Amino acid sequence: MADKPIEGEKRVFMTGNEVVAWAALAAGAEIMYGYPITPQNEIMHYWTRLAPKYGRKFLQTEDEISAGFTTIGGVLAGRRAFTATSGPGNTLMQEPMSMAEMMRIPVVQVVTQRGGPSTATVIYSQQEVTMTCFGGNGEGARIVYSTSTHQELFDYTIKAFNTAWKYRFPTHILGDGYQSKMRESLTMYDPASRGIEMVPTEPYVAKGGVPGIDRDPNHLRNTYNTEDELYDVVMGIMSDWEKYAPEIAEYQEFDAEDAEVLIVAHGVVTRAVQAAVKELRAQGKKVGHFRPVTLRPLAEEQLRKRAENAKVVLVVESAYGQLCKIIANSLYGLTTPIKKVLKPGVGVTAEEVVEEVSKLL
Amino acid sequence: MVDLDLVEPFYTLRPLKRQLEETGIDVIAWETRETMGLGEAGSILKPEMKWSLKRETDVIMDIGYGVEGAKTLNLVEDALNNKDLKIFAVVNTSRPMTASVKDIVEYVSGLGKVDGLVNNTHLGDETDWEIVEEGAKIVTEAAKQLQIPVVYTAVDEKLRTAGKTTDSQGNPIKYLHRYMPRSFW
Repeated sequence: MADKPIEGEKRVFMTGNEVVAWAALAAGAEIMYGYPITPQNEIMHYWTRLAPKYGRKFLQTEDEISAGFTTIGGVLAGRRAFTATSGPGNTLMQEPMSMAEMMRIPVVQVVTQRGGPSTATVIYSQQEVTMTCFGGNGEGARIVYSTSTHQELFDYTIKAFNTAWKYRFPTHILGDGYQSKMRESLTMYDPASRGIEMVPTEPYVAKGGVPGIDRDPNHLRNTYNTEDELYDVVMGIMSDWEKYAPEIAEYQEFDAEDAEVLIVAHGVVTRAVQAAVKELRAQGKKVGHFRPVTLRPLAEEQLRKRAENAKVVLVVESAYGQLCKIIANSLYGLTTPIKKVLKPGVGVTAEEVVEEVSKLL
Repeated sequence: MVDLDLVEPFYTLRPLKRQLEETGIDVIAWETRETMGLGEAGSILKPEMKWSLKRETDVIMDIGYGVEGAKTLNLVEDALNNKDLKIFAVVNTSRPMTASVKDIVEYVSGLGKVDGLVNNTHLGDETDWEIVEEGAKIVTEAAKQLQIPVVYTAVDEKLRTAGKTTDSQGNPIKYLHRYMPRSFW
Protein backbone atom coordinates (compact mmCIF):
# COMPACT_ATOMS: atom_id res chain seq x y z
CA MET A 1 0.00 0.00 0.00
CA ALA A 2 1.24 3.48 -0.86
CA ASP A 3 2.26 5.73 2.03
CA LYS A 4 1.04 9.31 2.07
CA PRO A 5 -1.14 10.42 -0.85
CA ILE A 6 0.98 13.55 -1.23
CA GLU A 7 4.60 13.91 -0.18
CA GLY A 8 5.61 17.50 0.50
CA GLU A 9 4.19 19.84 -2.15
CA LYS A 10 3.30 19.50 -5.79
CA ARG A 11 2.04 21.97 -8.39
CA VAL A 12 -0.80 20.31 -10.33
CA PHE A 13 -3.55 21.03 -12.83
CA MET A 14 -6.97 19.44 -12.45
CA THR A 15 -10.73 19.76 -12.00
CA GLY A 16 -12.30 20.96 -8.77
CA ASN A 17 -13.94 17.62 -8.08
CA GLU A 18 -10.57 15.91 -8.37
CA VAL A 19 -9.13 18.53 -5.97
CA VAL A 20 -11.74 17.68 -3.32
CA ALA A 21 -10.95 13.95 -3.52
CA TRP A 22 -7.20 14.60 -3.15
CA ALA A 23 -7.75 17.09 -0.32
CA ALA A 24 -9.91 14.62 1.61
CA LEU A 25 -7.17 12.01 1.16
CA ALA A 26 -4.51 14.47 2.31
CA ALA A 27 -6.67 15.38 5.34
CA GLY A 28 -6.73 11.73 6.36
CA ALA A 29 -10.43 11.22 5.67
CA GLU A 30 -11.09 7.52 6.25
CA ILE A 31 -14.39 6.99 4.51
CA MET A 32 -16.73 8.71 2.08
CA TYR A 33 -20.44 7.95 1.81
CA GLY A 34 -22.32 9.10 -1.25
CA TYR A 35 -24.93 8.80 -3.91
CA PRO A 36 -24.34 9.93 -7.50
CA ILE A 37 -25.51 13.34 -8.67
CA THR A 38 -24.09 15.80 -11.19
CA PRO A 39 -21.97 17.89 -10.87
CA GLN A 40 -20.61 16.14 -7.77
CA ASN A 41 -20.00 12.70 -9.31
CA GLU A 42 -16.27 12.88 -9.94
CA ILE A 43 -15.56 13.54 -6.27
CA MET A 44 -16.86 10.01 -5.75
CA HIS A 45 -15.21 8.69 -8.91
CA TYR A 46 -11.76 9.97 -7.96
CA TRP A 47 -12.21 8.98 -4.32
CA THR A 48 -13.14 5.42 -5.28
CA ARG A 49 -10.15 5.18 -7.61
CA LEU A 50 -7.70 6.60 -5.09
CA ALA A 51 -9.06 5.42 -1.74
CA PRO A 52 -8.13 1.71 -1.99
CA LYS A 53 -4.49 2.64 -2.69
CA TYR A 54 -4.34 4.33 0.71
CA GLY A 55 -6.53 1.97 2.73
CA ARG A 56 -9.52 4.31 2.74
CA LYS A 57 -13.14 3.28 2.18
CA PHE A 58 -16.29 4.17 0.29
CA LEU A 59 -19.93 3.23 0.63
CA GLN A 60 -22.53 3.99 -2.01
CA THR A 61 -25.92 4.23 -0.37
CA GLU A 62 -29.39 4.02 -1.90
CA ASP A 63 -30.03 7.77 -1.75
CA GLU A 64 -28.78 11.00 -0.19
CA ILE A 65 -30.84 10.60 2.99
CA SER A 66 -28.84 7.44 3.65
CA ALA A 67 -25.58 9.01 2.50
CA GLY A 68 -26.05 11.74 5.11
CA PHE A 69 -27.04 9.35 7.89
CA THR A 70 -24.24 6.87 7.15
CA THR A 71 -21.78 9.77 7.27
CA ILE A 72 -23.14 10.50 10.74
CA GLY A 73 -22.72 6.79 11.55
CA GLY A 74 -19.11 6.89 10.42
CA VAL A 75 -18.43 9.91 12.63
CA LEU A 76 -20.20 8.30 15.62
CA ALA A 77 -17.79 5.39 15.19
CA GLY A 78 -14.92 7.87 15.40
CA ARG A 79 -14.04 8.02 11.72
CA ARG A 80 -13.04 11.13 9.80
CA ALA A 81 -15.96 10.78 7.38
CA PHE A 82 -17.47 12.94 4.65
CA THR A 83 -20.05 13.07 1.92
CA ALA A 84 -20.64 15.19 -1.18
CA THR A 85 -23.79 16.12 -3.03
CA SER A 86 -25.63 18.75 -5.01
CA GLY A 87 -29.06 20.30 -5.62
CA PRO A 88 -31.90 17.83 -4.96
CA GLY A 89 -29.38 15.58 -3.19
CA ASN A 90 -28.60 18.41 -0.79
CA THR A 91 -32.34 18.80 -0.20
CA LEU A 92 -32.58 15.14 0.84
CA MET A 93 -29.53 15.50 3.06
CA GLN A 94 -31.14 18.17 5.19
CA GLU A 95 -32.60 15.68 7.63
CA PRO A 96 -29.25 14.11 8.52
CA MET A 97 -27.61 17.57 8.57
CA SER A 98 -30.24 18.70 11.11
CA MET A 99 -29.43 15.67 13.21
CA ALA A 100 -25.74 16.56 13.04
CA GLU A 101 -26.59 20.07 14.28
CA MET A 102 -28.66 18.75 17.15
CA MET A 103 -26.11 16.14 18.26
CA ARG A 104 -23.00 18.23 17.46
CA ILE A 105 -21.70 15.62 15.04
CA PRO A 106 -18.69 16.81 13.02
CA VAL A 107 -19.71 15.62 9.57
CA VAL A 108 -18.13 17.25 6.53
CA GLN A 109 -20.40 17.79 3.54
CA VAL A 110 -19.16 19.07 0.18
CA VAL A 111 -21.86 20.81 -1.87
CA THR A 112 -21.34 21.46 -5.58
CA GLN A 113 -24.22 23.84 -6.27
CA ARG A 114 -26.29 23.26 -9.40
CA GLY A 115 -29.38 25.09 -10.69
CA GLY A 116 -32.63 25.07 -8.78
CA PRO A 117 -35.35 24.76 -7.67
CA SER A 118 -35.86 21.03 -8.09
CA THR A 119 -33.87 19.14 -10.75
CA ALA A 120 -33.26 22.35 -12.77
CA THR A 121 -29.78 22.27 -14.35
CA VAL A 122 -26.77 20.08 -13.70
CA ILE A 123 -24.39 22.92 -14.37
CA TYR A 124 -23.92 25.88 -12.05
CA SER A 125 -25.66 28.09 -9.55
CA GLN A 126 -25.38 29.74 -6.15
CA GLN A 127 -28.88 28.73 -5.16
CA GLU A 128 -27.94 26.36 -2.33
CA VAL A 129 -26.84 29.11 0.03
CA THR A 130 -30.02 29.24 2.08
CA MET A 131 -30.31 25.45 2.22
CA THR A 132 -26.67 24.78 3.11
CA CYS A 133 -26.64 27.53 5.78
CA PHE A 134 -30.13 27.16 7.22
CA GLY A 135 -31.72 23.98 5.82
CA GLY A 136 -33.63 21.57 8.02
CA ASN A 137 -35.73 22.33 11.07
CA GLY A 138 -32.93 23.87 13.11
CA GLU A 139 -31.26 27.20 13.73
CA GLY A 140 -28.40 26.90 11.27
CA ALA A 141 -25.59 25.93 13.64
CA ARG A 142 -23.44 24.99 10.67
CA ILE A 143 -20.10 26.20 9.36
CA VAL A 144 -20.15 27.00 5.64
CA TYR A 145 -16.98 27.81 3.66
CA SER A 146 -17.70 29.25 0.21
CA THR A 147 -14.66 28.61 -2.00
CA SER A 148 -13.66 30.46 -5.17
CA THR A 149 -10.51 28.77 -6.51
CA HIS A 150 -9.10 25.26 -6.71
CA GLN A 151 -6.46 26.24 -4.19
CA GLU A 152 -9.22 27.18 -1.76
CA LEU A 153 -11.11 23.97 -2.49
CA PHE A 154 -7.97 22.09 -1.43
CA ASP A 155 -7.15 24.31 1.59
CA TYR A 156 -10.70 24.51 2.95
CA THR A 157 -11.55 20.84 2.42
CA ILE A 158 -8.62 20.03 4.71
CA LYS A 159 -9.60 22.82 7.08
CA ALA A 160 -13.25 21.69 7.17
CA PHE A 161 -12.31 18.42 8.87
CA ASN A 162 -10.39 20.32 11.53
CA THR A 163 -13.07 22.96 12.08
CA ALA A 164 -15.75 20.28 12.33
CA TRP A 165 -13.84 18.17 14.86
CA LYS A 166 -12.62 21.15 16.87
CA TYR A 167 -15.99 22.88 17.29
CA ARG A 168 -18.28 19.88 16.70
CA PHE A 169 -20.60 21.59 14.26
CA PRO A 170 -21.43 20.10 10.85
CA THR A 171 -19.12 21.78 8.35
CA HIS A 172 -19.79 22.41 4.68
CA ILE A 173 -17.69 23.23 1.64
CA LEU A 174 -19.91 25.23 -0.69
CA GLY A 175 -18.61 24.97 -4.24
CA ASP A 176 -20.49 24.94 -7.53
CA GLY A 177 -20.62 23.21 -10.90
CA TYR A 178 -18.13 25.59 -12.48
CA GLN A 179 -15.57 24.95 -9.77
CA SER A 180 -16.30 21.21 -10.03
CA LYS A 181 -15.65 20.98 -13.73
CA MET A 182 -13.13 23.65 -14.61
CA ARG A 183 -9.45 22.91 -14.57
CA GLU A 184 -6.85 25.15 -13.02
CA SER A 185 -3.55 24.91 -11.24
CA LEU A 186 -2.97 24.67 -7.52
CA THR A 187 -0.41 23.43 -5.04
CA MET A 188 -1.31 20.18 -3.32
CA TYR A 189 0.50 19.47 -0.10
CA ASP A 190 0.73 17.13 2.81
CA PRO A 191 -0.86 19.13 5.68
CA ALA A 192 1.94 18.03 8.03
CA SER A 193 4.54 19.59 5.72
CA ARG A 194 2.92 22.97 6.42
CA GLY A 195 2.60 22.39 10.13
CA ILE A 196 -1.13 21.68 9.89
CA GLU A 197 -2.02 19.11 12.50
CA MET A 198 -5.22 17.19 11.93
CA VAL A 199 -7.53 17.39 14.96
CA PRO A 200 -7.78 13.84 16.32
CA THR A 201 -11.12 12.06 15.98
CA GLU A 202 -12.82 10.00 18.69
CA PRO A 203 -15.75 7.62 18.79
CA TYR A 204 -19.09 8.77 20.20
CA VAL A 205 -20.30 5.19 20.65
CA ALA A 206 -18.65 1.94 21.79
CA LYS A 207 -16.11 3.92 23.78
CA GLY A 208 -15.01 0.92 25.84
CA GLY A 209 -14.99 0.53 29.61
CA VAL A 210 -18.03 0.33 31.87
CA PRO A 211 -20.25 3.43 31.80
CA GLY A 212 -20.58 4.94 35.26
CA ILE A 213 -17.46 3.14 36.49
CA ASP A 214 -14.64 3.65 33.97
CA ARG A 215 -16.16 6.69 32.30
CA ASP A 216 -19.21 8.93 32.25
CA PRO A 217 -22.25 7.42 30.60
CA ASN A 218 -22.68 8.62 27.05
CA HIS A 219 -26.28 9.56 26.33
CA LEU A 220 -26.75 10.51 22.68
CA ARG A 221 -30.11 11.99 21.77
CA ASN A 222 -31.85 13.94 19.07
CA THR A 223 -35.30 13.54 20.68
CA TYR A 224 -36.57 15.34 23.78
CA ASN A 225 -39.73 14.77 25.74
CA THR A 226 -40.55 18.28 26.89
CA GLU A 227 -40.34 21.80 25.54
CA ASP A 228 -38.17 23.03 28.40
CA GLU A 229 -35.69 20.22 27.92
CA LEU A 230 -35.39 21.07 24.21
CA TYR A 231 -35.11 24.77 25.03
CA ASP A 232 -32.10 24.14 27.27
CA VAL A 233 -30.40 21.98 24.66
CA VAL A 234 -30.94 24.38 21.75
CA MET A 235 -29.91 27.38 23.85
CA GLY A 236 -26.75 25.48 24.79
CA ILE A 237 -25.95 24.81 21.13
CA MET A 238 -26.60 28.42 20.14
CA SER A 239 -24.62 29.79 23.05
CA ASP A 240 -21.60 27.79 21.83
CA TRP A 241 -22.35 28.96 18.31
CA GLU A 242 -22.32 32.63 19.36
CA LYS A 243 -19.14 32.09 21.39
CA TYR A 244 -17.17 30.48 18.57
CA ALA A 245 -18.60 32.40 15.60
CA PRO A 246 -16.06 35.27 15.75
CA GLU A 247 -13.09 32.90 15.69
CA ILE A 248 -14.56 30.78 12.88
CA ALA A 249 -15.68 33.63 10.58
CA GLU A 250 -13.37 34.39 7.64
CA TYR A 251 -13.49 37.10 4.98
CA GLN A 252 -11.36 38.90 2.40
CA GLU A 253 -11.29 42.56 1.42
CA PHE A 254 -10.20 44.20 -1.81
CA ASP A 255 -9.84 47.99 -1.74
CA ALA A 256 -12.73 48.06 0.72
CA GLU A 257 -11.33 50.62 3.14
CA ASP A 258 -12.28 53.81 1.26
CA ALA A 259 -14.86 52.25 -1.07
CA GLU A 260 -17.90 54.32 -1.98
CA VAL A 261 -19.39 51.32 -3.76
CA LEU A 262 -18.86 48.18 -1.70
CA ILE A 263 -19.52 45.02 -3.73
CA VAL A 264 -20.39 41.90 -1.75
CA ALA A 265 -20.10 38.53 -3.49
CA HIS A 266 -19.09 35.00 -2.52
CA GLY A 267 -17.80 31.83 -4.14
CA VAL A 268 -16.76 31.82 -7.76
CA VAL A 269 -18.47 35.21 -8.35
CA THR A 270 -15.79 36.90 -6.25
CA ARG A 271 -13.36 36.25 -9.13
CA ALA A 272 -15.41 38.43 -11.50
CA VAL A 273 -15.82 41.07 -8.80
CA GLN A 274 -12.10 41.16 -8.00
CA ALA A 275 -11.31 41.69 -11.68
CA ALA A 276 -13.98 44.39 -11.92
CA VAL A 277 -12.64 46.23 -8.86
CA LYS A 278 -9.16 46.22 -10.37
CA GLU A 279 -10.47 47.74 -13.58
CA LEU A 280 -12.68 50.32 -11.85
CA ARG A 281 -9.85 51.38 -9.53
CA ALA A 282 -7.63 51.86 -12.61
CA GLN A 283 -10.34 54.27 -13.83
CA GLY A 284 -9.99 56.11 -10.52
CA LYS A 285 -13.32 54.95 -9.13
CA LYS A 286 -13.63 54.27 -5.43
CA VAL A 287 -14.94 50.73 -5.62
CA GLY A 288 -14.13 47.92 -3.20
CA HIS A 289 -15.11 44.35 -2.50
CA PHE A 290 -16.01 42.46 0.67
CA ARG A 291 -15.97 38.72 0.20
CA PRO A 292 -17.29 36.50 2.99
CA VAL A 293 -15.35 33.21 2.96
CA THR A 294 -17.62 31.77 5.64
CA LEU A 295 -21.31 32.38 4.91
CA ARG A 296 -22.09 30.81 8.31
CA PRO A 297 -20.96 32.36 10.55
CA LEU A 298 -20.63 35.69 8.73
CA ALA A 299 -17.90 38.21 9.63
CA GLU A 300 -20.66 40.65 10.54
CA GLU A 301 -18.71 43.25 12.45
CA GLN A 302 -16.11 43.64 9.69
CA LEU A 303 -18.78 43.84 7.00
CA ARG A 304 -20.75 46.48 8.92
CA LYS A 305 -17.63 48.58 9.37
CA ARG A 306 -17.10 48.80 5.60
CA ALA A 307 -20.77 49.12 4.68
CA GLU A 308 -21.18 51.96 7.14
CA ASN A 309 -18.64 54.08 5.27
CA ALA A 310 -19.84 53.20 1.77
CA LYS A 311 -22.42 55.17 -0.21
CA VAL A 312 -23.97 52.00 -1.56
CA VAL A 313 -23.63 48.24 -1.06
CA LEU A 314 -23.98 46.14 -4.23
CA VAL A 315 -24.70 42.43 -3.75
CA VAL A 316 -23.84 40.28 -6.77
CA GLU A 317 -24.83 36.62 -6.86
CA SER A 318 -25.95 33.74 -9.12
CA ALA A 319 -29.18 33.40 -7.15
CA TYR A 320 -32.26 35.51 -6.51
CA GLY A 321 -31.18 37.12 -3.27
CA GLN A 322 -30.00 34.22 -1.10
CA LEU A 323 -26.73 35.93 -0.21
CA CYS A 324 -28.50 39.29 -0.10
CA LYS A 325 -30.84 38.06 2.66
CA ILE A 326 -27.86 37.16 4.84
CA ILE A 327 -26.12 40.45 4.10
CA ALA A 328 -29.22 42.61 4.62
CA ASN A 329 -29.88 40.86 7.92
CA SER A 330 -26.41 41.63 9.21
CA LEU A 331 -26.54 45.26 8.02
CA TYR A 332 -29.86 45.93 9.76
CA GLY A 333 -29.98 49.41 11.21
CA LEU A 334 -27.49 50.98 8.77
CA THR A 335 -28.81 53.52 6.28
CA THR A 336 -26.51 52.52 3.39
CA PRO A 337 -28.77 51.44 0.52
CA ILE A 338 -28.40 47.91 -0.85
CA LYS A 339 -28.53 47.35 -4.62
CA LYS A 340 -28.57 43.91 -6.21
CA VAL A 341 -27.40 42.04 -9.28
CA LEU A 342 -29.30 38.76 -9.13
CA LYS A 343 -28.68 36.12 -11.78
CA PRO A 344 -30.11 32.79 -10.58
CA GLY A 345 -28.29 29.87 -12.18
CA VAL A 346 -26.18 32.03 -14.49
CA GLY A 347 -22.51 32.99 -14.33
CA VAL A 348 -21.34 36.57 -13.75
CA THR A 349 -18.52 38.21 -15.74
CA ALA A 350 -16.22 41.05 -14.72
CA GLU A 351 -17.59 43.14 -17.62
CA GLU A 352 -21.14 42.88 -16.26
CA VAL A 353 -20.01 43.95 -12.80
CA VAL A 354 -18.14 46.95 -14.25
CA GLU A 355 -21.26 47.93 -16.17
CA GLU A 356 -23.54 47.62 -13.13
CA VAL A 357 -21.17 49.64 -10.93
CA SER A 358 -20.84 52.31 -13.61
CA LYS A 359 -24.60 52.80 -13.44
CA LEU A 360 -24.27 53.60 -9.73
CA LEU A 361 -21.47 56.15 -10.03
CA MET B 1 -14.60 18.43 -35.59
CA VAL B 2 -16.79 16.00 -33.70
CA ASP B 3 -17.61 16.49 -30.03
CA LEU B 4 -17.91 12.91 -28.90
CA ASP B 5 -17.26 13.72 -25.28
CA LEU B 6 -20.33 12.02 -23.97
CA VAL B 7 -18.77 11.78 -20.53
CA GLU B 8 -19.11 15.56 -20.06
CA PRO B 9 -21.63 16.61 -22.71
CA PHE B 10 -22.46 19.98 -21.23
CA TYR B 11 -19.05 21.13 -20.15
CA THR B 12 -16.91 21.13 -23.23
CA LEU B 13 -17.18 22.59 -26.70
CA ARG B 14 -20.66 24.11 -26.36
CA PRO B 15 -19.72 27.73 -25.53
CA LEU B 16 -17.13 27.84 -28.31
CA LYS B 17 -19.05 26.08 -31.09
CA ARG B 18 -20.06 29.17 -33.06
CA GLN B 19 -16.65 30.75 -32.74
CA LEU B 20 -15.02 27.63 -34.19
CA GLU B 21 -17.58 27.49 -37.00
CA GLU B 22 -16.72 31.05 -37.95
CA THR B 23 -13.19 29.88 -38.69
CA GLY B 24 -14.57 27.49 -41.32
CA ILE B 25 -14.61 24.28 -39.29
CA ASP B 26 -17.68 22.02 -39.45
CA VAL B 27 -18.47 21.43 -35.79
CA ILE B 28 -20.66 18.42 -35.03
CA ALA B 29 -21.87 19.09 -31.49
CA TRP B 30 -25.10 19.86 -29.74
CA GLU B 31 -26.38 23.43 -29.62
CA THR B 32 -27.89 24.42 -26.29
CA ARG B 33 -31.34 24.96 -27.82
CA GLU B 34 -31.27 21.46 -29.37
CA THR B 35 -30.71 19.83 -26.01
CA MET B 36 -34.04 21.15 -24.68
CA GLY B 37 -35.65 18.50 -22.55
CA LEU B 38 -32.67 16.13 -22.53
CA GLY B 39 -31.79 17.25 -19.02
CA GLU B 40 -29.18 15.31 -17.18
CA ALA B 41 -29.49 12.36 -19.57
CA GLY B 42 -28.42 14.57 -22.46
CA SER B 43 -25.62 12.30 -23.59
CA ILE B 44 -27.22 11.33 -26.85
CA LEU B 45 -25.47 10.73 -30.14
CA LYS B 46 -26.23 13.02 -33.06
CA PRO B 47 -26.76 11.05 -36.29
CA GLU B 48 -23.97 13.08 -37.92
CA MET B 49 -21.60 11.83 -35.24
CA LYS B 50 -22.27 8.20 -36.07
CA TRP B 51 -21.43 8.74 -39.76
CA SER B 52 -18.66 11.30 -39.34
CA LEU B 53 -15.88 8.97 -40.53
CA LYS B 54 -17.60 8.65 -43.91
CA ARG B 55 -16.81 12.29 -44.67
CA GLU B 56 -14.27 12.97 -47.43
CA THR B 57 -12.19 15.30 -45.30
CA ASP B 58 -9.99 15.44 -42.23
CA VAL B 59 -12.02 14.50 -39.16
CA ILE B 60 -10.98 15.25 -35.58
CA MET B 61 -12.95 13.50 -32.86
CA ASP B 62 -12.77 14.59 -29.26
CA ILE B 63 -13.75 11.66 -27.06
CA GLY B 64 -14.28 11.74 -23.30
CA TYR B 65 -11.66 10.77 -20.79
CA GLY B 66 -11.02 7.32 -19.39
CA VAL B 67 -12.23 3.90 -20.35
CA GLU B 68 -15.87 5.01 -20.56
CA GLY B 69 -14.89 7.83 -22.88
CA ALA B 70 -12.92 5.50 -25.14
CA LYS B 71 -15.93 3.17 -25.43
CA THR B 72 -17.78 5.97 -27.23
CA LEU B 73 -15.92 4.98 -30.38
CA ASN B 74 -18.01 1.79 -30.50
CA LEU B 75 -20.92 4.01 -31.51
CA VAL B 76 -19.18 5.47 -34.55
CA GLU B 77 -19.73 3.62 -37.82
CA ASP B 78 -16.51 1.99 -39.08
CA ALA B 79 -14.36 3.34 -36.21
CA LEU B 80 -12.95 -0.05 -35.29
CA ASN B 81 -11.94 -1.07 -38.83
CA ASN B 82 -11.02 2.28 -40.32
CA LYS B 83 -7.33 2.16 -41.22
CA ASP B 84 -7.06 5.95 -41.44
CA LEU B 85 -8.36 6.53 -37.94
CA LYS B 86 -5.59 7.25 -35.50
CA ILE B 87 -6.32 7.31 -31.80
CA PHE B 88 -4.11 9.52 -29.66
CA ALA B 89 -4.18 9.76 -25.89
CA VAL B 90 -3.59 13.33 -24.72
CA VAL B 91 -1.52 13.34 -21.54
CA ASN B 92 -0.85 16.14 -19.06
CA THR B 93 1.65 15.06 -16.41
CA SER B 94 0.51 17.95 -14.18
CA ARG B 95 -2.61 15.88 -13.58
CA PRO B 96 -1.85 13.58 -10.65
CA MET B 97 -3.59 10.59 -12.27
CA THR B 98 -1.10 10.68 -15.17
CA ALA B 99 1.91 12.18 -13.42
CA SER B 100 4.27 9.21 -13.62
CA VAL B 101 5.42 6.78 -16.31
CA LYS B 102 3.78 3.92 -14.42
CA ASP B 103 0.41 5.70 -14.13
CA ILE B 104 0.40 6.70 -17.82
CA VAL B 105 1.23 3.18 -18.98
CA GLU B 106 -1.50 1.75 -16.76
CA TYR B 107 -4.06 4.33 -17.91
CA VAL B 108 -3.34 4.06 -21.64
CA SER B 109 -3.20 0.25 -21.52
CA GLY B 110 -6.79 0.24 -20.29
CA LEU B 111 -8.12 2.31 -23.18
CA GLY B 112 -7.95 -0.27 -25.97
CA LYS B 113 -6.34 0.66 -29.32
CA VAL B 114 -4.12 3.74 -28.94
CA ASP B 115 -1.78 4.75 -31.78
CA GLY B 116 0.22 7.45 -30.06
CA LEU B 117 0.58 9.84 -27.19
CA VAL B 118 0.38 13.63 -27.22
CA ASN B 119 2.40 15.40 -24.57
CA ASN B 120 0.02 18.14 -23.47
CA THR B 121 1.74 18.88 -20.16
CA HIS B 122 0.82 22.33 -18.87
CA LEU B 123 -0.33 24.32 -15.85
CA GLY B 124 -2.78 26.63 -17.61
CA ASP B 125 -1.56 30.23 -17.59
CA GLU B 126 1.40 29.28 -15.43
CA THR B 127 2.94 26.97 -18.02
CA ASP B 128 6.62 27.47 -18.82
CA TRP B 129 9.09 25.49 -20.91
CA GLU B 130 10.44 23.66 -17.88
CA ILE B 131 6.97 22.18 -17.18
CA VAL B 132 6.52 21.21 -20.85
CA GLU B 133 9.96 19.56 -21.05
CA GLU B 134 9.53 17.72 -17.76
CA GLY B 135 6.29 16.28 -19.17
CA ALA B 136 8.02 15.44 -22.46
CA LYS B 137 10.53 13.26 -20.61
CA ILE B 138 7.85 11.33 -18.72
CA VAL B 139 5.50 10.95 -21.70
CA THR B 140 8.34 9.86 -24.01
CA GLU B 141 9.41 7.16 -21.55
CA ALA B 142 5.80 5.98 -21.19
CA ALA B 143 5.44 5.87 -24.99
CA LYS B 144 8.59 3.80 -25.22
CA GLN B 145 7.20 1.26 -22.76
CA LEU B 146 3.86 1.23 -24.60
CA GLN B 147 5.74 0.86 -27.90
CA ILE B 148 3.88 3.74 -29.54
CA PRO B 149 5.21 7.12 -30.69
CA VAL B 150 4.83 10.56 -29.13
CA VAL B 151 2.99 12.27 -31.97
CA TYR B 152 3.80 15.77 -30.81
CA THR B 153 4.24 18.03 -27.80
CA ALA B 154 1.55 20.71 -27.51
CA VAL B 155 2.71 24.15 -26.36
CA ASP B 156 0.78 27.38 -25.79
CA GLU B 157 1.69 29.76 -28.60
CA LYS B 158 2.51 32.37 -25.96
CA LEU B 159 5.67 30.34 -25.36
CA ARG B 160 6.57 30.18 -29.07
CA THR B 161 10.35 30.20 -29.49
CA ALA B 162 11.79 31.03 -32.88
CA GLY B 163 13.44 28.01 -34.50
CA LYS B 164 12.32 25.58 -31.80
CA THR B 165 10.47 22.80 -33.62
CA THR B 166 11.20 19.81 -31.39
CA ASP B 167 11.30 19.26 -27.63
CA SER B 168 14.30 17.96 -25.71
CA GLN B 169 13.24 14.38 -26.51
CA GLY B 170 13.09 15.03 -30.26
CA ASN B 171 9.28 15.08 -30.47
CA PRO B 172 7.79 17.64 -32.87
CA ILE B 173 6.20 20.70 -31.27
CA LYS B 174 2.74 21.92 -32.18
CA TYR B 175 1.91 25.42 -30.96
CA LEU B 176 -1.68 25.90 -29.76
CA HIS B 177 -4.07 28.81 -29.51
CA ARG B 178 -6.15 28.30 -26.36
CA TYR B 179 -9.87 29.01 -26.68
CA MET B 180 -11.08 27.38 -23.47
CA PRO B 181 -10.26 30.29 -21.14
CA ARG B 182 -13.17 32.11 -22.85
CA SER B 183 -15.71 29.65 -21.51
CA PHE B 184 -16.85 29.86 -17.89
CA TRP B 185 -15.09 26.66 -16.85
